[in-house]
Amino acid sequence: MTTAATPVGATGTPSQTYLWANEVAKGLRLAKRRWGMAVVGIGMNALFYVGVNFFIGGGRIVTELMILTLPALLAATIASTLAIEGSGGIAEEINGGTLEQAQLSAASATTDVLGRVTALALQGLAATAVLGIAFIAIFGLHYEPHPSAIVPALLIVLDAMGYGLVVIAMTVRVASIGAITHVFNMVILFFGGTIVPIAIFPDAVEAAVRLVPTAVGVQALNTTLAGEPLAAAWADGTLPLLLAHTAVFITVGLAAYSRNLRRAKREGGVGPR
Amino acid sequence: MTDAIEYSGLSKTYGRGKDALTAVRPTTLSVPWGQVIGLLGPNGAGKTTIIKMTAGLITATAGGVRIGGHDIRRDRAEAVRLIGAVLEGSRNVYWPMSAWENLMYFGRLKGLRGAEIRPRAQWLLAELGLWERRHQLVGGFSRGMQQKVAVAAALITDPQILLLDEPTLGLDVEAARTFKDWIARLARDEGKTIVLTTHQLQVAQELSDRIAVIREGEIIADLPTAELLARHAENRFEVRLDAPLDGLRASIPDGATVSEDGIETRIVLPDADTRALYGFLDRLSDTGAPLTAVAKAQPSLEEIFIRLVHDELDEERTS
Repeated sequence: MTTAATPVGATGTPSQTYLWANEVAKGLRLAKRRWGMAVVGIGMNALFYVGVNFFIGGGRIVTELMILTLPALLAATIASTLAIEGSGGIAEEINGGTLEQAQLSAASATTDVLGRVTALALQGLAATAVLGIAFIAIFGLHYEPHPSAIVPALLIVLDAMGYGLVVIAMTVRVASIGAITHVFNMVILFFGGTIVPIAIFPDAVEAAVRLVPTAVGVQALNTTLAGEPLAAAWADGTLPLLLAHTAVFITVGLAAYSRNLRRAKREGGVGPR
Repeated sequence: MTDAIEYSGLSKTYGRGKDALTAVRPTTLSVPWGQVIGLLGPNGAGKTTIIKMTAGLITATAGGVRIGGHDIRRDRAEAVRLIGAVLEGSRNVYWPMSAWENLMYFGRLKGLRGAEIRPRAQWLLAELGLWERRHQLVGGFSRGMQQKVAVAAALITDPQILLLDEPTLGLDVEAARTFKDWIARLARDEGKTIVLTTHQLQVAQELSDRIAVIREGEIIADLPTAELLARHAENRFEVRLDAPLDGLRASIPDGATVSEDGIETRIVLPDADTRALYGFLDRLSDTGAPLTAVAKAQPSLEEIFIRLVHDELDEERTS
């Protein structure tokens, strides 16, 4: 028997960027194989969204409302993709033992989980793009976005990634996370501006639901989609709050994932439960 | 030169207080490069915990593990690059991905570039008879083929140390034999250091240079395989007859054990000297019994294992 490749010891320690990219590639590959379930979930949310709009319009689609609420549906789509697929994926890896194998690497816990959520965010963005284009084409929606709309849009994706990180971290610790994730996603769908813009909620309720992932991001995005500059979103307080919200969720998610992984290793590993 | 694996006072206790469960008692031992060590023990003895602590997948309560001189906790990146593992009760690889995709992923996970991985992946898959099916999803493979992919993934970076926790569990006879042959080749031809746990003691006996028996988290025997067998060697003979015993029972010496399957009779004379054997054979000769074999028999590793595990337990209970 001969050795047909250079032993691993001959190469240097791989960079975290390289390991992150490897994790992203794996995540996209797995997403490709599981697209069916994701499509069903997203389709159900879209049908629910159209149904609610139809109900509010008393039997007709209210496009003026849809223009304001479609960004929230798209944001919720990314967030739910990250939470459901992220939670389900890590649970499957724990039960299948591949999470343990993935630990036999120079990749840090942060690199590993960032790779996972990046792939999920790309998966969510792809679904969002299809959904957004379909709604705009079918219902004739018209937006005149300010170019700076890209900033809150990107921050929404990062905010959703932070939410996904928190859910993934919880899944490492809590075996039956499915129901909890479902409740979280319902909260985003109902109170994140998908049914009506959160600005019409009573002040106290609006202040509270701004803490829901993606909700304040949708407010900032709607400002720029209406043609206002980024300064307007900064001045009304939505952009600073979005930045803070995103930073907190990502930081808490990364810290919780690392902590829960360490704890799991102390308590018996991250292998099949 | 440092050893491949060094355990120093390694122990693991799960839980605290009244609910505390000691899975591994303080263990200190070294495994030199190129040695195959069989970790044997009943279920719950602590074998898997030791394997996982070796790989840094379970954190030790006390003591430490060094892999090629690298501390598994402080110098994890360097240590895990030396390890390939096939873990028990685990898929080990991604079933929704193909065999080829799995090998590329696990190769990159250890820092290899695509150009380095491809020839080795090609070679491994060809050797394991999976080349034609390399682009099929692993989830559609038989259990034996899935386990082959797991082994290929563990070997993709050509690691010097292999941790094999029940690698033949759930495999049919043919697949298990293929595995055993593979492990033997890895040890013999490539000089891999292998930590092997298995309940198939014949496999452990054939493959291991050294055997460590674990019971209730404690290593109760740790010897080179040949020495372990020699220490428990007995002066016993086995006589086989091609017929049921029937009227020959009176001829059997005291202390002999008899097993019959309706066709063949196996008589084991423990602690027998040759004089006793000749006496017994004379009596058989007188009756015209159809003798098929007479051999000096030694206890198998399985018998020694059972004796070690149960006798010590009985001694403890008695005392």
